[in-house]
Amino acid sequence: MELLSQAKKWGVRSLLIQGLTFLSVLTSAFMIWKGLSLFTNSESPVVVVLSGSMKPAYDRGDILFLHNGFSPIEVGEVVVYKLNEKPIPIVHRVMKVHTENESGKQYLLTKGDNNSADDRGLYNPGQTWIQRDEIIGRVKGFVPYAGMGTIWMNDYPYLKTVLLGTLCVMSLFGSD
Amino acid sequence: MYNLFQRLGSITSLAMSMFMALLILISATTPFIPSNPTHEVTLHDVKTTTGRMVDPADRTSRSAEYARLTFDLDADLTSMFNWNTKLLFAYITADFESPGFDTNRIVVWDRIIRNTRQAKLRLRKNHNKYFLRNYAKTFENVRNANLTLHINPVPYLGIMYDKSVATIPLDIPRPERRASGA
Repeated sequence: MELLSQAKKWGVRSLLIQGLTFLSVLTSAFMIWKGLSLFTNSESPVVVVLSGSMKPAYDRGDILFLHNGFSPIEVGEVVVYKLNEKPIPIVHRVMKVHTENESGKQYLLTKGDNNSADDRGLYNPGQTWIQRDEIIGRVKGFVPYAGMGTIWMNDYPYLKTVLLGTLCVMSLFGSD
Repeated sequence: MYNLFQRLGSITSLAMSMFMALLILISATTPFIPSNPTHEVTLHDVKTTTGRMVDPADRTSRSAEYARLTFDLDADLTSMFNWNTKLLFAYITADFESPGFDTNRIVVWDRIIRNTRQAKLRLRKNHNKYFLRNYAKTFENVRNANLTLHINPVPYLGIMYDKSVATIPLDIPRPERRASGA
């Protein structure tokens, strides 16, 4: 197999070095992501908008940059929140804020701009308000349409395998 | 440097770097584009009622007090539209303090303004679009109430800035409890 003979030509050491370079690229990307999460106090500082409930401001496929921080949420801010028992993050605007005196606990109500009703139908049964810790972050910046790739890969899973396959093929034959 | 793939690769990486630089420049300069919006909110009337089932998701709503506002709004927001403005989100909030709660802020009216034709607002005797009630069931002991107009421009690209570009604090004390019923 040409691959094996090529590998033998390079030698074990150079293969190991290549492996190490690859690993260090992966881990530095991971470190940057986690560092950004720490800085913004958000578990996912970059999200892709999945639904059209915030049209015309944010449409499917937009990439949002979030910053959570520690300060209380202000009314009118567009936030991404994830309910405690549901795995999907939702981007909507905060319509009502009630902040308690001593504890600083906040009671928040959200609504999508393109929806006629507020989000109480989306919350957990019996839940009428959401809390500060269910907020992943406030939207601070965005790039339109840049996340369409993620949407396509979610809608058409075979695209993921096609993409991975092409990447593998290109990396195997690309070093000449 | 003669391979097709290498050429495509270097073009793509140059394009990516230029896109990043553009993104940073646009994000940094858009908030500083000057604008001078004019706005005026007049409050005509506030009525508080109870005894209506208004919110199917909130079981306490049947006996809670709901306030109904009547207001006028005059605004000229055309100067807030620059090349990087996708839309303006205008909303009016009612802010007040109540026992146990430092801040209560409730959006009572909002509108999306998509272009300069829609940017001249002239509202007369409008009511609040959204229910206005306290977290507690009554408005008793509510202090420092006012109505604030916020305008939030959403850019085509870049950072969200100036959440409330133009706020007019309007110190209108909300009447505490009027007759319940109609």
